[in-house]
Amino acid sequence: MAPSRTSTVKSKHASKHAANKTGIRNSKTASKPTNDGVSKPKSANSKRTTSKGAPQKIKGTSHLATLKKKRRVYTEKELGIPALNMITPIGVEKPKGRKKGKVFVDDRESMMTILAMVNADKEGQIESKMMKARQMEEIREARKREAEAKVAMRKEKLDETKDGLRKKRKRSTGDNGGEEKRESTKSDAMAGTRPLKLKKKTVSFA
Amino acid sequence: MRPLTEEETQTLFAKLANYTGNSLKNLIAPIDNSPNGDRYVFRLQAQRCYYVRLSLANLATSIAKDKLLSLGICLGKFTKSGKFRLHITALPILAEHARYKVWVKANGEMPFLYGGHILKAHVGRWSEDCPEHQGVVVYSMNDTPLGFGVTARSTQEARRLDPTGITVFRQADCGEYLRDEDTLFATS
Repeated sequence: MAPSRTSTVKSKHASKHAANKTGIRNSKTASKPTNDGVSKPKSANSKRTTSKGAPQKIKGTSHLATLKKKRRVYTEKELGIPALNMITPIGVEKPKGRKKGKVFVDDRESMMTILAMVNADKEGQIESKMMKARQMEEIREARKREAEAKVAMRKEKLDETKDGLRKKRKRSTGDNGGEEKRESTKSDAMAGTRPLKLKKKTVSFA
Repeated sequence: MRPLTEEETQTLFAKLANYTGNSLKNLIAPIDNSPNGDRYVFRLQAQRCYYVRLSLANLATSIAKDKLLSLGICLGKFTKSGKFRLHITALPILAEHARYKVWVKANGEMPFLYGGHILKAHVGRWSEDCPEHQGVVVYSMNDTPLGFGVTARSTQEARRLDPTGITVFRQADCGEYLRDEDTLFATS
């Protein structure tokens, strides 16, 4: 917005100067150097131009109106520019347009709204706590079950090995002597040291 | 003496809501339905927050600030850092609107009133589904409020706890009326 405005103002000045130069050549104002006009305040210049002719008068008034609008000078306060061109800390800067001092809450409605907000907040917190506790409980239960299952498996394995060992012992004390004898004869036959008694002689016709 | 600011009201309600449920709104409900009827308000005097009837608070304005010792029910005091600390004097209000409760057996009453935490062995009954670190009001077995505290464990976890384990951390108990007699009502 701002740059476009400035450009329009410039163009108006240019047109004004052009009109002066072309329209009133012999007048005193025309003979004056252009620098002089620039140095003078612009409002005076515009007044002079309006006093010249009737058709220009209408134009001049409209210009004046627009110029007056454009010319609005903003004070530093209005712009909100800091007095010194430096960064002001957040805590130091005071908010504009707000009441100075404390704002009390004494009416029922505002107290109710605050209470409702706080209550909702607390409800949410309690709810989330309960959810968390429930989840933790579930996890704990699952872990407990897993641990129990593991213990049971280990016990089963231990029992199996125990049983196995017991059986082995029984074998070694009862049946093991006969078996060993049988095994020894077999091994002798394989080695060829003793002929096998079990083999029968047979006759075959070619 | 002055009303509370927005922030102060919020911290106060947040603290009260730790112990009470939704019925807290009854605290500021008007006593009668007439348009200019009396109601309860909160007033701050020498860092202490009082729960007073509006008519009484208005009357109290005629007493000089430094001469006014107490009015209405003292709920607690605002610390210099802006937090709020509940006093045992707020117990009647908390007990009326309590959300979670713990009942202490007769053998646990004295240890609690002497400033001890509540052990599992001393708990007679407790509210179900109470989460961890939640404000609770402590009652004796015949429903007399004894004080208030904060749960150390949730109800489910507390069941597994051994009898000597702490279930509720004490925040305030009626024994303070005697133990803190000098400082409880003195403003300086």
